[in-house]
Order: sequence, then structure tokens, then C-alpha cells
Amino acid sequence: MEEIQNKIRREVVQLLSEGQVDVVIGFEQGSLPLRATPFFLRDIADANRLVWSPFCENNLATYLTKIQGKRVGLIAKGCDVRSVVALLVEKQIHRDHIVIIGVPCQGMVDRRRIEREVDGEILKAHQEGEEIIVEGRDFRKSLPRKEYIYPSCKRCEHRNPLIYDTLIGEKLVEEAERAYHEVEAFEKLSPDKRWSHFSEETSRCIRCYACRQACPMCYCAECFVDSSFPKWIEKGLDPSDVQFWNIVRAYHQTGRCVGCGACERACPMEIDLVYLTQKINRDVKELFGFEAGLDLDPPPPLSTYRVDDEQEFIK
Amino acid sequence: MEKDLWEPKILAFLCTWCSYAGADLAGTSRIQYPPNVRVIRVPCSGRINPLFILKALQQGVDGVLVSGCHPGDCHYQIGNYIGRRKSSSLKRFLDYLGIDEGRVQFSWVSAAEGAKFAQVVKEVSDKIRNLGPSKKFVNRIGPIKGVRE
Amino acid sequence: MKKLPKEKVKPFVEKLLQDYEVLGPMETAGFASFGRIMSPGELKLNYQNSKKTPKEAFFPQWEVMFRYRSTGQSVEVKSAEDTGRRRILFGIRPCDIRAALLLDLVFDSLDFKDPYYINKRKGTIVVGLGCNHPASTCFCTSVNGGPFSREGADFFMTDLGDGYLVEVLSQKGRKLLRGFDGKEASEEDKERAKAIADSATRGISSVIEADGLMEKLEKLTEAPFWDFLHEKCLGCGICTYLCPTCHCFDMADEAFDLKGQRVRCWDSCLFPLFTLETSGHNPRPTGRERIRQRIMHKFNYFFYTHKAIACVGCGRCIIHCPVNLDIRRVIDDIHRE
Repeated sequence: MEEIQNKIRREVVQLLSEGQVDVVIGFEQGSLPLRATPFFLRDIADANRLVWSPFCENNLATYLTKIQGKRVGLIAKGCDVRSVVALLVEKQIHRDHIVIIGVPCQGMVDRRRIEREVDGEILKAHQEGEEIIVEGRDFRKSLPRKEYIYPSCKRCEHRNPLIYDTLIGEKLVEEAERAYHEVEAFEKLSPDKRWSHFSEETSRCIRCYACRQACPMCYCAECFVDSSFPKWIEKGLDPSDVQFWNIVRAYHQTGRCVGCGACERACPMEIDLVYLTQKINRDVKELFGFEAGLDLDPPPPLSTYRVDDEQEFIK
Repeated sequence: MEKDLWEPKILAFLCTWCSYAGADLAGTSRIQYPPNVRVIRVPCSGRINPLFILKALQQGVDGVLVSGCHPGDCHYQIGNYIGRRKSSSLKRFLDYLGIDEGRVQFSWVSAAEGAKFAQVVKEVSDKIRNLGPSKKFVNRIGPIKGVRE
Repeated sequence: MKKLPKEKVKPFVEKLLQDYEVLGPMETAGFASFGRIMSPGELKLNYQNSKKTPKEAFFPQWEVMFRYRSTGQSVEVKSAEDTGRRRILFGIRPCDIRAALLLDLVFDSLDFKDPYYINKRKGTIVVGLGCNHPASTCFCTSVNGGPFSREGADFFMTDLGDGYLVEVLSQKGRKLLRGFDGKEASEEDKERAKAIADSATRGISSVIEADGLMEKLEKLTEAPFWDFLHEKCLGCGICTYLCPTCHCFDMADEAFDLKGQRVRCWDSCLFPLFTLETSGHNPRPTGRERIRQRIMHKFNYFFYTHKAIACVGCGRCIIHCPVNLDIRRVIDDIHRE
């Protein structure tokens, strides 16, 4: 980890001093245990603030559509790079404005799960080899890092960045769990059970739109919820409105979601969200042979067709 | 309202070139079909934003029918192929969520198929009548002058 | 002062439930939240800070103000406010009570009286619960609060381990003593409560420098500082929606054909739509202006109008921010500017 961190710092110093980029987006130490925080680096003198740890959970590609007109160095994990690819495919960013500093990723640590493993507040956390050590007022606990990575990280099939300008460290062996087994299990439930899971989960939604804001692919100039003419949806918490929002947010990811899990990690109400986009991802793969963020060439699946696409459901 | 007096309210999005003309033909040919559908004419089945379908369900319709030209017949060459992809992914997603299978149905009806249009509407209406009033995902205020009141 | 042994809490709450709607800390999906309690078992009093805030009791995220219906000739309008509800906020942290006092300044001022808020506020008895173990993110003592501040409480409880030390602080609070099955607190209990309170107050490790903050911000309106502060902010509404003092709202008509309702719902200064004008112009077009508004409103504008800082130091925005944009660091940076 420390070696990777030093390499990142050296690389960034070089990029900035050669004037190849205006700003580098990476992570610095967060203000809370188990947290790193996005960091916009412009001054070489601050390069030693850059960190690389199992707490770098944010998808930094989100910032690329917001920071237009600048040459950006992006410190990117496998999923961040997939988002970059998906944004390139949708022509939202320019490849030559971005320098990708790819970092193979071992998975990020699920801070909420760890918080639940201990009684009381965690005041300190760090990594020691393969263990995450957390300490509080009257406890110290060691947890195996590998078991506590986010579910989306466990499913991840592309821990190594697919495209990059520089790669930091060695490539890892891909070792994903079966990506869609939760989807398959959920499909086996009865429709009423499936609906009640969805409506119970979304009943906690406070419509803060953190899921949307954290998602690199949610870049619409005007989201349908913000449109007042036509007005698609009311602003309140009527269950149907909350459900409407959550259905459309997920469905609009069709052929676009890279499965990074940023939506679920951002959600303050801890709503089960990834099972929705995972379903869509699996369908898109099955129906259209497409996975978002893997390849720069094929067009987005909903903007193209094959003559022999599925149509048995059409009378 | 008594349950046996209830009649489903179905919204049909019809492509203007084929299915809408097909519906027209059914009318001019005096073919009887259930009066449960309200038609919205769209330029092409590729024009149908899945939002339309979801919004209709949320506003309290009991079912939605989407109908366009047969594959290969699209006035815009590929519009119905694009629409087909949206339809298949949306249909699978709605099933997955647990929204009753059959609330949203799809068909190809050409301008020459008045009889088929009538048949489709009959089948769609029967299926949705069997499902009963839509309850999941319906706005509480709902339409005032609807069949529901 | 009285003492309520732990095993008597359940019957006490059961009694309260007979006469009142009780709202309190509870567990939802594995985290401490806040909501209506239907049985004493749902109460979770050993929480640190609930994720959702008790402000919802007076200022819900979404409320129908009135309903209307056109009959063809005329329009019927009916208020949707149900008056006369008797409610208890049970086990509320002093920071959240302070937040309610700040909201009073907004919704129940000399100039503006908001009946929807006032109605709910007046009908509610506030049962405070001292904060034995403030979180590392708590900084209530920096903003005129404290983990055992009684300000605004009608009834106050201190967790002694084997029971609660109970203090009645107002006429409203006295009503709760009916059917109360506790004994007088001993001198030792009182000593213990004091020691707990002192140690909790000493245990607050986070500090913000509130002195001079308002004056400092005055000079910073156009400072380059804001150009960079907002960069990592995602622009979601978590910090505003989970803030116990944020109170911006929007009103809308939800209408269908000839009937409808006017609703009031929370809005957030961090959303572009918050200030978008009909012309298409947005006076706060980017995150820079929006996050500046959030900071300014809390630490400058609110001080102008109400002589108080609109922050109670509960730390929710720090804990729940998805990118760890920490208000304590922001304030440090402001002072350094």
C-alpha cells in the first residue's frame, strides 16, 4: 500500500511539474476513521497529502463531467476506469483531457459493516497487512480486510484498470464472485415479495439524490425529477413518487451502469440499490451482449439494435 | 364501486404509421373491440420514452399497451428496433420489481391489420381485467373522474 | 428530582403511550433513526445520534397544507392540519432540542407565525436525554450547547447505568409524572449524574472556532476560497436533510384534474433547482455559490436575523457526507483565510 502511495505521489509530481495536467483528482486522508476523502491537487507541494488505502471508496470519475475544460489527472481504480470508458462512449469527456493513473484495486472496505462489528464508536482505524485494525474507547479489534470489502467489490471482475496512461503497481489476479447470484436469488421470490422488498427499502428514501450525485453516469443537464415542464414527479414522499424516482433512476442506467456501487455507498438511508442495477446489467449482457465500460467501440446498447433482438414478448 | 362493475382503464401508445392506422381500420371496418383503451398517438414506437409508461402506471392506469410497426416496416427504418430494445429491458425490469406481469404489454400491428388490432385489445383487456385494479405504485391522490371513483 | 429504575422504563413508556403519540429514537435497517414508537420495546435509548432528526416532528419532510376540489361552480378548500395531537418526543439529545429552539426563531417569530409548525410544536412535550458518551464528531459545546444542556427540555433524563435521574423542568413536563412509578433520587444519584455530565462535557473532543466566524465570513463573500471548497462536494442533499436546523422548503400543488393538494416539502440549497428561476436564469449556478450559501446561512445570515448560529454541533453532516466534506475542517479553513 505504502509503496503504491509513494509511486502515485511521484507520478503526480511529474505530471504536474511537466504541465501535463492542471489538476489531479485523488484521495487524501479523511477526517474520520475508515475514511479517505477526494482531493483536488494543484500544487506539487501538497503531493504528499495523496493517500492510497482500502478506504478510497468514492468513484472519482463522477467529477470528470463537472470539471470541464481542464486537463485532469485521475487516480483511478478498476471501476473508476470503467466509468471513464462509459463516459467516453457517451462522448461526455475527451480522452486527451484526461491522464489516467490506473491503480489495481483490492476492493474497498465497507465502513458501515465494520462499524456494526463493534460496540461503540470507532476512533481509529488502519491497515496492518491483511487486517483492518479498529480501535475505540474500550476496544481494539482486528478484522480480515478481504471479508469486509463492499459487495460490489466482491463481485468486481475488473479490478485492474482496463485503460490507463500509467499503471501503478502490479496487476492483480481477477477473482470475482459470481456477479449475478443475488439477482438470481431475488428473481426466485414471488412478485409480491419482490415488490414488498422494493417498497420497504425505498420507503426510507429521503430524496436527497445522493445516489444520483455519486454516480458518474448521472450527468443529465436536467434530471427528470427536476423538470417542471413537463412535471414528471411530485417533490414529496408519497410512496409512489419515491418508487417512481427509484425505478427511473435505476432503469436509466440500462447499458450504462458499471456496477461500482457508488450509489449504494452514498445512500444515507442504506437502501438496497445495487440489486436493481445488477439486474439491468445482467439483462443487458444477456439480451444485447453488452457490458458498460469495457470497450470503447460498441455504441450504447439502447441506441442501436440487432435485427434478431428478443421479441417473443411482443404479440 | 362494486368489483364486478369495475372496468380496467388501459393506455395505448400507438405508432402513427402502423398501429394507429390499424386501429382506424378496425373502426372503419366496424370491428368491435373492448372500449377500455385510451389511445395516445406517437410518431414511432421508438419515440416511447419508458418514462411515459411508468408515469401512466403511477397515475393509476391499470395497464399499458405499446404497439408499433412490424420489424422491418418502420417508417423511420429502425425506430421500432430501438423501441424493441427499450421494451424488452423495461419489461424484464418491471417483472423483477414485482409489478404484475401483464400490466405492460406489447404488440406489432400494421396499418392493414384492423382485425388484429381488435384482437390484441381484446386479449390485453382480458388479461388486465383478470389482474384487477392496479394497486402497486399508484399515486394516492389519483385522477378524480376516473373509473375508480 | 426522581429516579426511574431501568426496569420501570417500559411500564412508564407504556403509560405514556396510552395518552400520547410517542416519538423517539428507534432502530431502522440497522441504524439509529427517529420515528413514532408503537411499543416501549422499539425505543433504543443507548444511541449516539439518530440518523434522521427529531425536527421532522414539527417540520416534516413532506406535509399536506390543505386540499381542494372544484365542484364545477365553486372550489372547496379544506385544511389538512390535524390539531390537538398530544405528542411526546422521548429521549431527545440536547443538541436536537437546541435545534428546535433555533427553528422556533424561524417559524414562531414576532413577524412570522407558521401555524403548521406552531401547532405541532405546542402540542409536544420534550423529554431530553443527556448524552453520556458524545461522539468524536460532536462539537455542541462550541455552539452554545452541551451534552447535558437542559435548555428547551420539559423533562430531562440522565442515564445512571441502573436507572435514569429524572428532572421536571416545566409545567408541561409535570404532566408526565402522572402514573410515574419512581422514587426520589438520592444525594448519591445526584452526585453521580453531575459527575457523568461533567465527564461527558470534558469528553467533547471536537471544537469549532465560533468566535469571529460571522465577521470573518463577511469579508469572504467573493474569496477564491469558495472556488475550491465545493470541488469535491457531490451536490446531494444529505447534509441539509439530516441537519436538525436546516429548514428551507418548497411549496407545490399536486393536482389531478379538479382536485389537488398544496404540499410543503423540504428543499436544499445544494440543489440547482432551489434557485432556478422561470426565465432559466440561476443566480447560484454552480456548487461554489450553493455551498457558500449553506455555510453563510448557518454562520452568518442566520446570526444577522436571529443572533444565533444555525448549527448545534450534532456532527451528522460530518458522519454522513459521502465524500467526507467535514464542516469542522471548512471552518478551520475559513479562519485561516
